[in-house]
Amino acid sequence: MADRIYALLVWLEASALGEAVRGAGVWAYGWLNLAHILGIAMLFGAVLLLDLRLLGAWRSIPLPLIARPTVPLAAVGFVIAVASGSTMLTVNATGYEGNPFLYAKLPLIGVGLVNVAIVQRLGAWRWALAGHAPRPGDGAVLAGAGATSLAIWLAVVSCGRMIGYW
Amino acid sequence: MRLSLTVAAIAALLSLPALGHHGWGGNDGEIEVTGVVETGLSLSGPHGTMQIRDGEGTLWQVTLAPAPRTHRAGLREGTVPVGAEVTVHGERNADPDVYELKTRRVTHGDTHYDVYPPPRR
Repeated sequence: MADRIYALLVWLEASALGEAVRGAGVWAYGWLNLAHILGIAMLFGAVLLLDLRLLGAWRSIPLPLIARPTVPLAAVGFVIAVASGSTMLTVNATGYEGNPFLYAKLPLIGVGLVNVAIVQRLGAWRWALAGHAPRPGDGAVLAGAGATSLAIWLAVVSCGRMIGYW
Repeated sequence: MRLSLTVAAIAALLSLPALGHHGWGGNDGEIEVTGVVETGLSLSGPHGTMQIRDGEGTLWQVTLAPAPRTHRAGLREGTVPVGAEVTVHGERNADPDVYELKTRRVTHGDTHYDVYPPPRR
């Protein structure tokens, strides 16, 4: 397993993308970092709003009204964060071998995506998003979904922030 | 289950001591190492890096400032060629098995490159 991860890191570092960024001047990494934090701000800010609403905050705002801006913003932020983050990784990928925060963060992102897929299939979510009044039990299901999502993305951001401190 | 695991992971993160390359925290006293440049300066990652080998044959990882700051200190890729003798003044990694310097100053010939200002006395 460790060998396969290392081989993947070697491949990333040797990629044309890594080569291009390394040759793109002393500010290149800083620009990527800027894009990454803007993507995270969009993703996490939108997730925070939606998940707190699912947990019961701002009940006077109907769920579809909160979901309309937050879901697409989170998706765009996710794409920006993944594109900039994986590009940052290619610059010096082998330097992160054995970094427990990176190794925790990447699978956690997968867990986050699985959670999105599950939530989108929840009856309670689809019912509320269609603008219907909640049925008995829906509130608890949606609160659980919000808490799970918030915990996952908080863990992803925490791991990401700590990669450089290892 | 997944939630409780995640909460446990966050708790574990919060309890870790603040180590790492962003502060001077994980280092252990300032030293000077004179050696021959084996891997020239790279300004491509989050920090400038190079490698020097001292007279006893030890290979040191020289970690400099973030690339723009290292560049502003006058160090460019190729400023100090591979094979040149340099003296690096900086903080040694606290781990005795890790030969890494967090660089304050690089001296090449008569030229000083102050990556971080010398400490005030």
